[in-house]
Formats: sequence, C-alpha cells, structure tokens
Amino acid sequence: MKILVVDDFSTMRRIIKNLLRDLGFNNTSEADDGLTALPMLKTGKFDLLVTDWNMPGMQGIDLLKAVRADENLKNIPVLMVTAEQKKEQIVEAAQAGVNGYIVKPFTALILKEKLEKIFARIE
Amino acid sequence: MLEDNELITDDNIARVRDLLVCMEKGNESDAIEIIDELTAIRETELYQDMGKLTRELHDAISNFGIDDSVSIMAEQTIPDARERLNYVISKTDEAANQTLEAVEESIPICNDLSEQALELHNSWKKFTERELSADQFRALSKDIYLYFEKSNDLVKVKDHLTSILLAQEYQDLTGQIIKKVINLVGEVEDKLIGLIKITGAPQLASSDGDASSLDGPPVPGLAHKDTVTGQDEVDDLLSSLGF
Repeated sequence: MKILVVDDFSTMRRIIKNLLRDLGFNNTSEADDGLTALPMLKTGKFDLLVTDWNMPGMQGIDLLKAVRADENLKNIPVLMVTAEQKKEQIVEAAQAGVNGYIVKPFTALILKEKLEKIFARIE
Repeated sequence: MLEDNELITDDNIARVRDLLVCMEKGNESDAIEIIDELTAIRETELYQDMGKLTRELHDAISNFGIDDSVSIMAEQTIPDARERLNYVISKTDEAANQTLEAVEESIPICNDLSEQALELHNSWKKFTERELSADQFRALSKDIYLYFEKSNDLVKVKDHLTSILLAQEYQDLTGQIIKKVINLVGEVEDKLIGLIKITGAPQLASSDGDASSLDGPPVPGLAHKDTVTGQDEVDDLLSSLGF
C-alpha cells in the first residue's frame, strides 16, 4: 500500500506519516502542494492520496479534480484532511469525488476509521 | 449664531427705539452710530463661533493627523508586529519539529522493547511450566541478559521525553508576543475609530466575507456562517448527501 501525503506544513505531513506508520502503512511519500503532488501521482503508482485543502500553488480541491479527470488516476481513493469547515466546501469536495473528509484537529482513531471505511468500499 | 434671547434684550430694544427717534429727527450721524453698534454685536458672536470651530478642528487634527503615535505605528510598530508574528511561526515550527523528532526516535525503541518483553514473557511461562530444555533455558538466560542491555535505551527515551517537555516553552514565549500584538491591534482600532469620527465616514454595512474564500481553522467565539463543528457534523453532512 503506497500512500502520498500532501500538505504545505511539514509538521502536519510528519504527524500524518507517523499515524499511518502506526496503522501499519510504512510506504508513504510527501508533497507540499498539488503542483508537486500531481507528477508524483502520475509516475508513482500510489494506492491512496491524503491531501490538505488550503495550500499555495495548487489547492487540494483542484488536485482532487485533476486526479478525477485523469484517466489513469481517477480511481485512486482520496482522503481530505483539512481545517476547512464550511458546509459549502464539504459539499464541493463530495461532488468532486472525495472518498473521505477529516477536519483538523483530528485523532488517530478518526484517521483509522476513515481509512477502514475507504478500503472496505474498495474491496 | 445669535440666540433669540441674546438679540432681543432690553438694551437692544432701547437702541432700536433710539435709532427710530434719530431717523425721524433726521439725525443721520447718530443713526449710523447706532446701526454700527447693532452690527458689531452680530459680528462679535460670529467671530467667536468661527474661532471656536477653528480651535476644534485644530485640536482634532493635532490629536490625530499630526500625532506622532500614528506615524510611529505605521513606520515601526506594525512592521515590528509582523516580525514578532513571524517569530511565533518559527518558534512553533521549531517546537513541533523538536517534538516530532523525539517521538520518532522513541517509538522504535518502545516497539522493540515491548516486542522482546512479550517474547521473554512467553519463554518464561514455558520455563515455569517446565517445558524448556537445558539448552533452551541457556538461550533464554542469554536473551534476558540482552534484554537488560537493550533496556538501557530507556535512558534515551527519557531524554526524548525531557526534550519534548522543554519544547513546550514555545507556549510561554509565543503567548507573550501574541498578547503584545493583540494590544497593538486594539490601539490601531482606536485610531481608526477616531479617524472615522473626524471624517464622518458613513458606517459600513457589516461584511459577511467572500463565501468562496478559505476560512482556515474555525476560531471559538467568532461567528462562522454555514460551517460544521467537528468530525461528527462532517460525517452527518456527508451521509445526508448519500456518502
């Protein structure tokens, strides 16, 4: 299971990577915004994308839309982990095809639950 | 402006009567003198009012526009505040990284020790149930010795915990800095209110902000329109959309 973690704050990437490792996912890579993430996704054969929303360069919602629009990437499950709590935005992410939406601050348990839910749907 | 009761006084009524008498008698020079007196009364009041207005305007300008505190604020205090806030970012970043490093180095040590302890526990159980051969027991003794050696790593874990403890000093430093900036924002607010009062700018309608902009983390105490609070509400919203 190869996971790409996208967040502009390195500390948040580290926290998510550590939590993922605790859950048994050791193969993780990092990107600091959508622009760096997209080429990595195209060449890296990732099984899951975990992304923030508000980032410089390319925002998470645009990354999600770009992934869904790409023939080779469109089936990658996307989990959004963000501080954005506007209903309008959650609805936008849902319509863009997000597979899970976690609001910060979050707990290890919530991350585990959402990942299990995503994988249960895939299987 | 002259008030009614300031113009219609017994003195002035007497003056006007005198004026009428002078004019009926054809005494022009006396009549002019009385008219001058009456005009002077009006002019004095007018000059006093203008003087008062000029003084008020001058005070207002010197209290606001020419006030040094405003230019000091613009040239020094606000750039200072920006620096202070940048320092807050770097301090919190530093503390977070220091903490993460300590945690990342401690977790494998804890994992190793707890796994080995579990293995030793199982072997020891077999030993007490007399299920171990002499060779197996010798191996167990060696493993126990190695485990004691390995548990020296707990000293490292303790150091890491101390490092995490010390990293929390950022809260004190950044708290003090942010308090200063809050005070500054309060001062700027007062000055702006003063400016609005002087210029008589109309009250702006309260803005709801741009609906499509990103708000970032919600702040308790600030009203947020159409936002959820917490993961449960996000889950409810998504399930109402058929998620």
